[in-house]
Amino acid sequence: MVYVRKNQRDLTAAERRKFVGAVLELKRSGRYDDFVRTHVRYYSADGDDDLRVAHMAPSFLPWHRQYLLEFERALRSVDPTVTVPYWDWTRDNTPAASLWGEDFMGGNGRRGDRQVTTGPFAYERGDWPITVGVTESPFLTRNFGNPANPIELPTARELARATAETVYDSAPWDSTSRTGFRNALEGWTREAGNGRWRNHNRVHRWVGGLMLGGASVNDPVFWLHHSFIDLVWSRWQRKNPEARYLPASPPPPGSAQYRRVVARHEPMPPFRATPDDVADHRHLYRYA
Amino acid sequence: MSVAQPLSRLLPRRRTVLRSLFALTVTAFTGGALAHVATTRADGAGRAAAGGFDEMYRGRHIQGRPVAGAGFDVRVDGRPLHLMRCAGGGYLTPVDHYSSYPTPLAAARGAVDELGSARLALGAHHGVRP
Ligand SMILES: [Cu+2]
Repeated sequence: MVYVRKNQRDLTAAERRKFVGAVLELKRSGRYDDFVRTHVRYYSADGDDDLRVAHMAPSFLPWHRQYLLEFERALRSVDPTVTVPYWDWTRDNTPAASLWGEDFMGGNGRRGDRQVTTGPFAYERGDWPITVGVTESPFLTRNFGNPANPIELPTARELARATAETVYDSAPWDSTSRTGFRNALEGWTREAGNGRWRNHNRVHRWVGGLMLGGASVNDPVFWLHHSFIDLVWSRWQRKNPEARYLPASPPPPGSAQYRRVVARHEPMPPFRATPDDVADHRHLYRYA
Repeated sequence: MSVAQPLSRLLPRRRTVLRSLFALTVTAFTGGALAHVATTRADGAGRAAAGGFDEMYRGRHIQGRPVAGAGFDVRVDGRPLHLMRCAGGGYLTPVDHYSSYPTPLAAARGAVDELGSARLALGAHHGVRP
Protein backbone atom coordinates (compact mmCIF):
# COMPACT_ATOMS: atom_id res chain seq x y z
CA MET A 1 0.00 0.00 0.00
CA VAL A 2 1.52 3.31 -1.08
CA TYR A 3 1.69 5.80 1.77
CA VAL A 4 2.09 9.56 1.78
CA ARG A 5 4.77 11.79 3.28
CA LYS A 6 3.32 15.14 4.21
CA ASN A 7 4.67 18.61 4.70
CA GLN A 8 5.20 18.90 8.44
CA ARG A 9 3.36 22.26 8.48
CA ASP A 10 0.19 20.46 7.37
CA LEU A 11 0.19 17.77 10.06
CA THR A 12 -2.72 17.74 12.48
CA ALA A 13 -2.03 17.84 16.20
CA ALA A 14 -2.78 14.11 16.32
CA GLU A 15 -0.33 13.39 13.49
CA ARG A 16 2.38 15.39 15.21
CA ARG A 17 1.77 13.51 18.43
CA LYS A 18 1.90 10.13 16.70
CA PHE A 19 5.13 10.89 14.88
CA VAL A 20 6.84 12.03 18.08
CA GLY A 21 5.46 9.02 19.94
CA ALA A 22 6.86 6.55 17.40
CA VAL A 23 10.27 8.27 17.44
CA LEU A 24 10.37 8.15 21.25
CA GLU A 25 9.46 4.47 21.21
CA LEU A 26 12.37 3.69 18.84
CA LYS A 27 14.65 5.61 21.17
CA ARG A 28 13.37 3.72 24.20
CA SER A 29 13.96 0.35 22.52
CA GLY A 30 17.51 1.25 21.42
CA ARG A 31 16.72 1.05 17.71
CA TYR A 32 17.04 4.80 17.24
CA ASP A 33 20.65 4.78 18.39
CA ASP A 34 21.42 2.03 15.88
CA PHE A 35 20.34 4.46 13.17
CA VAL A 36 22.69 7.08 14.64
CA ARG A 37 25.55 4.57 14.56
CA THR A 38 24.86 3.62 10.94
CA HIS A 39 25.08 7.24 9.82
CA VAL A 40 28.33 7.75 11.75
CA ARG A 41 29.86 4.58 10.44
CA TYR A 42 29.19 5.31 6.78
CA TYR A 43 30.33 8.93 6.79
CA SER A 44 33.66 8.72 4.97
CA ALA A 45 35.32 11.88 3.68
CA ASP A 46 36.65 12.07 0.15
CA GLY A 47 40.30 12.69 1.07
CA ASP A 48 40.49 9.12 2.33
CA ASP A 49 40.54 6.10 0.08
CA ASP A 50 37.54 4.34 1.57
CA LEU A 51 34.39 3.57 -0.31
CA ARG A 52 32.08 6.55 0.24
CA VAL A 53 28.39 5.84 0.16
CA ALA A 54 26.61 8.45 2.25
CA HIS A 55 28.30 11.82 1.66
CA MET A 56 30.65 13.49 -0.80
CA ALA A 57 29.60 10.86 -3.31
CA PRO A 58 27.03 10.22 -6.05
CA SER A 59 25.10 7.84 -3.79
CA PHE A 60 24.42 10.63 -1.25
CA LEU A 61 20.82 10.75 -2.52
CA PRO A 62 19.94 7.04 -2.99
CA TRP A 63 21.81 6.04 0.17
CA HIS A 64 19.74 8.47 2.25
CA ARG A 65 16.57 7.40 0.41
CA GLN A 66 17.15 3.82 1.52
CA TYR A 67 18.19 4.95 5.00
CA LEU A 68 14.96 6.94 5.41
CA LEU A 69 12.94 4.00 4.13
CA GLU A 70 14.45 1.74 6.80
CA PHE A 71 13.79 4.32 9.48
CA GLU A 72 10.24 4.76 8.27
CA ARG A 73 9.75 0.99 8.30
CA ALA A 74 10.90 0.98 11.94
CA LEU A 75 8.49 3.83 12.77
CA ARG A 76 5.64 2.04 11.05
CA SER A 77 6.33 -1.14 12.99
CA VAL A 78 5.51 0.96 16.06
CA ASP A 79 2.58 2.84 14.52
CA PRO A 80 1.47 1.86 10.99
CA THR A 81 -0.14 5.26 10.41
CA VAL A 82 3.12 7.21 10.75
CA THR A 83 5.29 8.42 7.85
CA VAL A 84 8.32 10.75 7.81
CA PRO A 85 7.11 14.31 7.23
CA TYR A 86 9.23 16.79 5.32
CA TRP A 87 10.48 20.24 6.28
CA ASP A 88 10.47 22.70 3.40
CA TRP A 89 13.14 25.02 4.79
CA THR A 90 12.72 27.49 1.94
CA ARG A 91 9.30 28.25 3.41
CA ASP A 92 9.43 27.49 7.13
CA ASN A 93 12.66 29.36 7.58
CA THR A 94 12.46 30.98 11.02
CA PRO A 95 12.71 29.80 14.63
CA ALA A 96 9.03 30.78 14.96
CA ALA A 97 7.88 28.04 12.55
CA SER A 98 5.45 25.50 14.01
CA LEU A 99 8.11 22.87 13.27
CA TRP A 100 9.87 23.97 16.44
CA GLY A 101 6.75 23.83 18.61
CA GLU A 102 6.51 22.36 22.10
CA ASP A 103 4.53 19.40 20.78
CA PHE A 104 6.87 18.61 17.90
CA MET A 105 10.61 19.23 17.53
CA GLY A 106 10.98 21.66 20.43
CA GLY A 107 12.92 24.88 20.03
CA ASN A 108 16.39 26.34 19.89
CA GLY A 109 19.12 25.54 22.39
CA ARG A 110 19.56 27.93 25.30
CA ARG A 111 22.52 30.29 25.59
CA GLY A 112 25.68 28.88 27.05
CA ASP A 113 25.52 25.13 26.68
CA ARG A 114 23.02 25.24 23.75
CA GLN A 115 20.85 22.65 25.43
CA VAL A 116 17.36 22.18 23.98
CA THR A 117 15.04 22.69 26.95
CA THR A 118 11.64 22.66 25.25
CA GLY A 119 9.58 19.95 23.60
CA PRO A 120 9.63 16.16 23.71
CA PHE A 121 13.40 15.91 23.12
CA ALA A 122 14.45 18.17 25.98
CA TYR A 123 16.85 16.36 28.29
CA GLU A 124 14.82 17.09 31.41
CA ARG A 125 11.89 15.13 30.01
CA GLY A 126 14.05 12.05 30.35
CA ASP A 127 13.18 10.49 26.98
CA TRP A 128 16.06 11.72 24.88
CA PRO A 129 19.52 11.08 26.37
CA ILE A 130 22.32 11.33 23.81
CA THR A 131 24.28 8.09 24.02
CA VAL A 132 26.14 8.09 20.69
CA GLY A 133 27.90 11.42 20.53
CA VAL A 134 30.98 13.45 19.83
CA THR A 135 30.99 15.10 23.24
CA GLU A 136 30.30 14.13 26.82
CA SER A 137 27.10 16.16 26.87
CA PRO A 138 24.09 13.90 27.26
CA PHE A 139 21.57 16.44 25.92
CA LEU A 140 20.40 17.53 22.47
CA THR A 141 21.89 20.87 21.36
CA ARG A 142 20.90 23.44 18.72
CA ASN A 143 22.25 26.84 17.75
CA PHE A 144 19.82 28.32 15.22
CA GLY A 145 21.42 30.57 12.63
CA ASN A 146 24.86 30.38 14.23
CA PRO A 147 24.75 33.86 15.85
CA ALA A 148 28.54 34.12 16.12
CA ASN A 149 28.73 33.97 12.32
CA PRO A 150 25.13 34.38 11.20
CA ILE A 151 23.71 32.29 8.39
CA GLU A 152 20.24 32.05 6.84
CA LEU A 153 18.45 28.94 5.65
CA PRO A 154 18.71 28.32 1.90
CA THR A 155 16.26 30.32 -0.18
CA ALA A 156 14.01 28.98 -2.93
CA ARG A 157 16.32 30.73 -5.36
CA GLU A 158 19.38 28.97 -4.05
CA LEU A 159 17.58 25.64 -4.25
CA ALA A 160 16.51 26.47 -7.81
CA ARG A 161 20.16 26.73 -8.80
CA ALA A 162 20.55 23.08 -7.86
CA THR A 163 17.37 21.89 -9.52
CA ALA A 164 18.34 23.71 -12.73
CA GLU A 165 21.17 21.20 -13.21
CA THR A 166 20.35 18.68 -15.91
CA VAL A 167 22.96 15.98 -15.24
CA TYR A 168 22.83 13.84 -12.10
CA ASP A 169 26.50 14.04 -11.10
CA SER A 170 29.95 14.54 -12.57
CA ALA A 171 33.56 13.44 -12.14
CA PRO A 172 35.44 13.37 -9.83
CA TRP A 173 32.22 12.25 -8.05
CA ASP A 174 33.09 13.94 -4.77
CA SER A 175 32.81 17.24 -2.88
CA THR A 176 34.73 18.98 -5.66
CA SER A 177 32.33 18.06 -8.49
CA ARG A 178 31.59 21.38 -10.17
CA THR A 179 28.49 20.43 -12.08
CA GLY A 180 25.62 18.06 -11.53
CA PHE A 181 22.50 18.03 -9.40
CA ARG A 182 23.90 15.86 -6.57
CA ASN A 183 26.67 18.16 -5.36
CA ALA A 184 24.62 21.31 -5.97
CA LEU A 185 22.00 19.87 -3.61
CA GLU A 186 24.44 18.30 -1.15
CA GLY A 187 26.10 21.70 -1.03
CA TRP A 188 29.90 21.47 -1.13
CA THR A 189 31.55 24.52 -2.65
CA ARG A 190 34.97 26.12 -2.72
CA GLU A 191 33.65 29.57 -1.97
CA ALA A 192 34.78 31.67 0.97
CA GLY A 193 32.51 33.17 3.62
CA ASN A 194 28.89 32.18 3.96
CA GLY A 195 28.75 30.96 0.36
CA ARG A 196 30.62 27.90 1.56
CA TRP A 197 27.39 26.26 2.60
CA ARG A 198 24.63 25.49 0.19
CA ASN A 199 21.31 23.72 0.45
CA HIS A 200 21.67 20.44 2.36
CA ASN A 201 24.90 21.38 4.15
CA ARG A 202 23.61 24.86 4.94
CA VAL A 203 20.58 23.46 6.74
CA HIS A 204 22.80 21.32 8.94
CA ARG A 205 24.78 24.46 9.72
CA TRP A 206 21.73 26.62 10.41
CA VAL A 207 20.26 24.20 12.94
CA GLY A 208 23.68 23.78 14.51
CA GLY A 209 24.53 21.89 17.68
CA LEU A 210 24.33 18.16 17.14
CA MET A 211 22.95 18.64 13.60
CA LEU A 212 26.37 19.94 12.63
CA GLY A 213 28.36 16.93 13.71
CA GLY A 214 28.93 13.34 12.81
CA ALA A 215 26.06 12.29 15.03
CA SER A 216 23.52 14.65 13.42
CA VAL A 217 20.87 11.91 13.44
CA ASN A 218 20.54 12.52 17.19
CA ASP A 219 18.39 15.52 16.27
CA PRO A 220 15.08 14.12 15.02
CA VAL A 221 14.74 17.06 12.63
CA PHE A 222 17.42 15.25 10.63
CA TRP A 223 14.69 13.00 9.18
CA LEU A 224 12.43 15.89 8.20
CA HIS A 225 15.34 17.62 6.52
CA HIS A 226 16.33 14.54 4.56
CA SER A 227 12.72 13.80 3.67
CA PHE A 228 12.65 17.19 1.94
CA ILE A 229 16.00 16.51 0.22
CA ASP A 230 14.46 13.28 -1.06
CA LEU A 231 11.36 15.14 -2.28
CA VAL A 232 13.54 17.63 -4.16
CA TRP A 233 15.38 14.76 -5.80
CA SER A 234 12.11 13.02 -6.64
CA ARG A 235 10.73 16.13 -8.37
CA TRP A 236 14.00 16.62 -10.20
CA GLN A 237 13.82 13.04 -11.46
CA ARG A 238 10.34 13.64 -12.81
CA LYS A 239 11.49 16.81 -14.55
CA ASN A 240 14.59 15.13 -15.99
CA PRO A 241 13.48 11.60 -16.90
CA GLU A 242 16.52 11.02 -19.10
CA ALA A 243 19.01 12.01 -16.39
CA ARG A 244 19.71 8.73 -14.68
CA TYR A 245 22.08 8.03 -11.81
CA LEU A 246 25.78 8.44 -12.63
CA PRO A 247 28.27 6.85 -12.80
CA ALA A 248 26.49 4.15 -14.77
CA SER A 249 29.44 1.77 -14.43
CA PRO A 250 32.24 1.59 -11.86
CA PRO A 251 35.34 3.77 -12.35
CA PRO A 252 38.02 1.48 -13.88
CA PRO A 253 41.06 0.11 -12.00
CA GLY A 254 43.80 2.70 -11.91
CA SER A 255 41.42 5.66 -11.91
CA ALA A 256 41.26 7.93 -8.87
CA GLN A 257 37.76 6.88 -7.80
CA TYR A 258 38.24 3.14 -8.35
CA ARG A 259 36.31 1.30 -5.59
CA ARG A 260 35.57 4.61 -3.87
CA VAL A 261 32.11 5.33 -5.29
CA VAL A 262 29.03 3.25 -6.02
CA ALA A 263 27.92 2.84 -9.63
CA ARG A 264 24.29 2.52 -10.76
CA HIS A 265 24.00 -1.23 -10.24
CA GLU A 266 26.25 -1.72 -7.22
CA PRO A 267 24.95 -2.16 -3.67
CA MET A 268 25.22 0.73 -1.20
CA PRO A 269 26.51 -0.73 2.09
CA PRO A 270 25.13 -1.52 4.59
CA PHE A 271 22.10 -1.94 2.35
CA ARG A 272 21.74 -4.45 -0.43
CA ALA A 273 19.87 -1.92 -2.54
CA THR A 274 21.59 -0.31 -5.51
CA PRO A 275 20.99 3.27 -6.70
CA ASP A 276 18.95 1.80 -9.54
CA ASP A 277 16.77 -0.16 -7.11
CA VAL A 278 15.64 3.01 -5.34
CA ALA A 279 15.50 5.30 -8.37
CA ASP A 280 11.72 5.01 -8.41
CA HIS A 281 9.96 5.20 -5.04
CA ARG A 282 6.40 5.65 -6.25
CA HIS A 283 5.37 2.06 -5.51
CA LEU A 284 6.32 2.65 -1.84
CA TYR A 285 5.49 6.24 -0.95
CA ARG A 286 4.74 9.56 -2.54
CA TYR A 287 4.88 13.17 -1.45
CA ALA A 288 1.85 15.29 -0.73
CA MET B 1 24.15 9.41 33.54
CA SER B 2 25.71 7.70 30.56
CA VAL B 3 28.85 9.07 29.04
CA ALA B 4 28.59 9.61 25.31
CA GLN B 5 30.25 6.95 23.24
CA PRO B 6 33.15 8.33 21.19
CA LEU B 7 32.41 8.51 17.51
CA SER B 8 35.78 7.28 16.44
CA ARG B 9 35.09 3.87 17.94
CA LEU B 10 32.36 3.50 15.40
CA LEU B 11 34.26 4.64 12.35
CA PRO B 12 35.35 2.07 9.79
CA ARG B 13 38.99 1.29 9.52
CA ARG B 14 40.70 3.63 7.09
CA ARG B 15 42.46 2.01 4.19
CA THR B 16 44.32 5.22 3.63
CA VAL B 17 46.90 4.97 0.91
CA LEU B 18 49.34 7.68 1.73
CA ARG B 19 50.55 8.60 -1.75
CA SER B 20 51.88 12.12 -1.28
CA LEU B 21 49.33 12.86 1.39
CA PHE B 22 51.89 13.43 4.07
CA ALA B 23 53.86 15.89 1.98
CA LEU B 24 50.64 17.69 1.14
CA THR B 25 49.49 17.97 4.72
CA VAL B 26 52.83 19.32 5.85
CA THR B 27 52.64 21.98 3.18
CA ALA B 28 49.10 22.89 4.11
CA PHE B 29 50.06 22.86 7.71
CA THR B 30 52.95 25.28 7.41
CA GLY B 31 50.62 28.03 6.24
CA GLY B 32 48.38 27.46 9.24
CA ALA B 33 51.27 27.32 11.68
CA LEU B 34 52.69 30.59 10.38
CA ALA B 35 49.32 32.25 10.59
CA HIS B 36 49.10 30.96 14.11
CA VAL B 37 52.42 32.51 15.12
CA ALA B 38 51.22 35.81 13.75
CA THR B 39 47.92 35.71 15.62
CA THR B 40 49.09 34.32 18.91
CA ARG B 41 51.94 36.74 19.25
CA ALA B 42 49.35 39.45 19.57
CA ASP B 43 47.70 37.95 22.65
CA GLY B 44 50.76 36.13 23.86
CA ALA B 45 48.71 33.04 24.56
CA GLY B 46 50.35 30.43 22.37
CA ARG B 47 53.50 28.76 21.24
CA ALA B 48 54.04 27.06 17.91
CA ALA B 49 56.00 23.83 18.10
CA ALA B 50 57.95 22.86 15.02
CA GLY B 51 55.30 21.93 12.44
CA GLY B 52 52.56 22.06 15.03
CA PHE B 53 50.47 24.41 17.08
CA ASP B 54 49.79 24.82 20.74
CA GLU B 55 47.59 27.68 21.87
CA MET B 56 44.72 28.83 23.99
CA TYR B 57 41.69 29.58 21.85
CA ARG B 58 38.51 30.90 23.49
CA GLY B 59 39.63 29.42 26.76
CA ARG B 60 40.35 26.00 25.31
CA HIS B 61 43.79 24.45 24.91
CA ILE B 62 44.27 23.31 21.31
CA GLN B 63 47.30 21.40 20.14
CA GLY B 64 48.27 19.77 16.89
CA ARG B 65 51.23 17.98 15.45
CA PRO B 66 51.83 16.05 12.26
CA VAL B 67 52.10 12.32 12.76
CA ALA B 68 53.88 10.18 10.21
CA GLY B 69 51.45 7.96 8.40
CA ALA B 70 48.36 9.10 10.25
CA GLY B 71 48.05 12.74 9.27
CA PHE B 72 47.55 14.82 12.40
CA ASP B 73 47.17 14.42 16.07
CA VAL B 74 44.91 17.24 17.18
CA ARG B 75 43.69 17.74 20.74
CA VAL B 76 41.27 20.01 22.53
CA ASP B 77 41.99 20.23 26.26
CA GLY B 78 44.05 17.09 25.84
CA ARG B 79 41.26 15.09 24.21
CA PRO B 80 41.80 13.79 20.68
CA LEU B 81 39.89 15.41 17.84
CA HIS B 82 39.78 13.14 14.81
CA LEU B 83 40.40 14.88 11.48
CA MET B 84 39.13 13.57 8.14
CA ARG B 85 40.77 14.65 4.90
CA CYS B 86 38.74 16.20 2.09
CA ALA B 87 39.50 15.96 -1.62
CA GLY B 88 39.66 19.75 -1.81
CA GLY B 89 42.60 19.72 0.62
CA GLY B 90 40.72 20.64 3.79
CA TYR B 91 39.64 18.85 6.94
CA LEU B 92 36.41 17.79 8.61
CA THR B 93 36.03 17.11 12.31
CA PRO B 94 33.36 15.02 14.06
CA VAL B 95 32.12 18.24 15.65
CA ASP B 96 31.52 19.90 12.28
CA HIS B 97 30.91 17.37 9.52
CA TYR B 98 29.46 19.81 7.05
CA SER B 99 32.29 22.30 6.57
CA SER B 100 35.78 21.74 5.30
CA TYR B 101 38.49 23.77 7.06
CA PRO B 102 41.69 24.64 5.18
CA THR B 103 44.18 23.62 7.90
CA PRO B 104 44.26 21.46 11.03
CA LEU B 105 44.48 24.65 13.11
CA ALA B 106 41.40 26.08 11.44
CA ALA B 107 39.61 22.77 11.99
CA ALA B 108 40.56 22.77 15.68
CA ARG B 109 39.38 26.35 16.16
CA GLY B 110 36.18 25.58 14.23
CA ALA B 111 35.54 22.63 16.52
CA VAL B 112 36.01 24.84 19.61
CA ASP B 113 33.59 27.41 18.14
CA GLU B 114 30.93 24.74 17.75
CA LEU B 115 31.63 22.84 20.96
CA GLY B 116 30.43 25.71 23.11
CA SER B 117 31.01 24.60 26.66
CA ALA B 118 30.95 20.87 25.81
CA ARG B 119 33.93 18.59 26.24
CA LEU B 120 34.98 16.04 23.66
CA ALA B 121 34.13 12.49 24.62
CA LEU B 122 37.07 10.83 26.28
CA GLY B 123 38.70 8.02 24.38
CA ALA B 124 37.98 9.53 20.99
CA HIS B 125 41.01 9.11 18.77
CA HIS B 126 42.15 8.88 15.26
CA GLY B 127 39.38 6.73 13.98
CA VAL B 128 41.96 4.17 12.95
CA ARG B 129 41.25 0.93 14.67
CA PRO B 130 43.58 -2.02 14.46
CU1 LIG C 1 22.20 15.51 6.02
